This record gives sequence, C-alpha cells and structure tokens, in this order.
Amino acid sequence: MRIEVNLPSLGDDDDAVTKGVVAFWLQKAGAALKAGDDLLELTTDKAAFVVPSPESGTLMEYRVSEGDEVTVGDVLCVLEVG
Amino acid sequence: MALNQFPTWIRRPWPSGKAFREVKDLLNGMDLHTVCQSAHCPNQSECWSRRTATFMVLGNTCTRHCTYCAVNSGKPMAPDPDEPEKVAEAVRRLGLRHAVLTSVTRDDLPDGGAGHIAATIRAIKRLSPGTTQEVLVQDFVGDVPAIELIVAAKPEIFSHNIETVRRIFPKLRDRRFSYDLSLEVLRIARARIGRGFVKSSFMLGCGETEADIQETLHDLLVAGCDAVSMGQYLQPTPKHQDVEAFIPPEIFTRYESMARDMGFSFAVAGPFVRSSYRSEALLQSEFGRERLQTSGAEQHAD
Repeated sequence: MRIEVNLPSLGDDDDAVTKGVVAFWLQKAGAALKAGDDLLELTTDKAAFVVPSPESGTLMEYRVSEGDEVTVGDVLCVLEVG
Repeated sequence: MALNQFPTWIRRPWPSGKAFREVKDLLNGMDLHTVCQSAHCPNQSECWSRRTATFMVLGNTCTRHCTYCAVNSGKPMAPDPDEPEKVAEAVRRLGLRHAVLTSVTRDDLPDGGAGHIAATIRAIKRLSPGTTQEVLVQDFVGDVPAIELIVAAKPEIFSHNIETVRRIFPKLRDRRFSYDLSLEVLRIARARIGRGFVKSSFMLGCGETEADIQETLHDLLVAGCDAVSMGQYLQPTPKHQDVEAFIPPEIFTRYESMARDMGFSFAVAGPFVRSSYRSEALLQSEFGRERLQTSGAEQHAD
C-alpha cells in the first residue's frame, strides 16, 4: 500500500509555526526506512528540524525538492508500506 | 522565506508521533494557549512527546513588546474566567506530576493578572494535589501585593526571567521592563517564599561577553536566586532581534559550571535550555529534594 507522508501540524494555535524550507533530503528514493528514521531536514526561521518517517517502508517518490517552502499538511513524499 | 544556515547543534526533531498528537488534540480541544506554540519553541517535539507543556494563561496577546519575542503584542482580550479550571483540568488529564505556568504581561489589568495566575495555581493543586508547579511571571511593575498573591498560592518554584545581561537589556526588552526592577522582583519573592525556590533564566547569543554573564549571575545570586538557566537565543522571524552568535554546547557547559562555582544550588545551560525546559529537574536534584522535604514539613505545620 502506498501512503503520502505529510508535514505534521504543530497545533491549531494561530501563532504556531506552519512552514519551513526543505534544506536537504536525508534518504534516497528506493531506501528502506524504519518508522522514526529521518527523512529530510527542514529549516524554519528559528532552527533546523529533521522530519521523521511515520512508518516503516520504502521511499518511492519525493514530492518536494530541496529549496522548496513547505506548509504543514503538504505531502513530502510517498512511501510503500506493509 | 529563505533557507537559513544553522550550526549542526541547532537541530531538533519536527514534532510528530502519537503522544505528540494526543497532547496537541487535548490542548487545542480545550482552547488553551501554550508558550511552546506561541514562542515557536524548538523543544515542542521533545516536551509534548513526554506529555508535558508550558501553559500560557491570560490570553496570547502581550501588552509589552520585546524585540526577541514571538508572542503577539497589542490590546489583549478580557481574561477567560474559566481558564484556571481549564488549565487544571488539562494538567489532570495529561497526568502531569510537574506543571509549568506562564503568562503574557497584562499591564491593562489592575493586578497585572496575578489573581488569575494564583487562581490557576490553586485550581491545579485542588485537581492534582501531588503535582508540583513552576510559575514564570512578569515583573508586575514591582507591585508587592501582586507578587504576594502569586507566592501565597504556594508554587514550588517562583520564576522571573532577567532574560539578558544588564548591558544589552535596554536593546532587547520593552522599555517598561528594567534590569534592576527584575532583580527587585526576585528579591521580593525570595523574602516571602520561605523554602520555595526562586529561579531566573537568560538568553545567550545576543552579543554579551563572559564578563557580562558573570555580572548577571552575580546579580541574580545577590537577589536570592537558587536556580539559573541559560540557553541560546533563536530568532523567531526575520523581523525579530538578530542572533549575534551561536554559542557551542561546550561553552554552555562551561557557563553552567561557572554558575555552580559562583554559588547557585542549581544551574543548567545548553543551546536548547529554556526557562521551562525540564523544569522538574530542579525539584529532582539532591538540593531540590532535600529542601522540598523540609518545606513539606513546614507547610504541614501551617
């Protein structure tokens, strides 16, 4: 089964952080991932963050590129799981 | 939005996972504010995944404007009279053994919101009698009765942040704050809190020198602080105060030792240390446990 991996929301508070810029991918397409493995590094104005994979599976496709601005809810990549 | 360059040690996990979502859903469902979200805190993932959060009461609009702070400033709404009970209910549902409370500054309220904060501390004690509390407050313009309201509610830790060293203070803080008034607030609390703890925190990376840091540590000690914490200032948006320097972790470690050597009973410093970060560590330290036991006996005798 293929699943889309979204950038998780940090909360509904109107002043929560909602976006960042993709600094670089930490995994290549085809990589076998365990849940919690770092997928990519994202920078906000305040700090750098690593976004973990929500599930174990195979990274099939990037949906965002290095340098792209992404907002919470955006699809980052597609995983083949199960 | 530009791609920022951060040193390798300024890197945190993006919040995700089951425990994080549970905390998020609970807080959002109860219409409560947290400084974790309002201050864009990089520790949100770690703290919420450990099922802890720092509650920000009295709304999310501050009447003062500091150049480094991400919290909105402007004209706040009237406080929610149900908020003390709601926060206490959230603390109970999260099962927190230690809760941290803070607030925006409310110069528009006659008591600066001290009564509301004290009511929140008492509500938490009522619903979660075993839970310890740290309360991080503003300066209340040095108003002794307001500070006494807070202390009388018996939080284990009274915190007021000096935020930065004396020399840089006027550049970073709203002009209604003053370095000496902040020290006075700490002295007022120290004189009234008995065997409770008095704590202050400040940011590094704003252009301060080691001599500036030593001066501030000395001033906090003289004011009666038991505990101090120091962390890296991070710019929340390009409109805020610039970061002057990213201080390496080993330098933070040295400052932490320096604070202990100068006489603080508890000191913690590191890039991601914030005033509320792992706040319970003070009470869990040998010093903290010993004094809590004594103060517990005192309160029992009241």
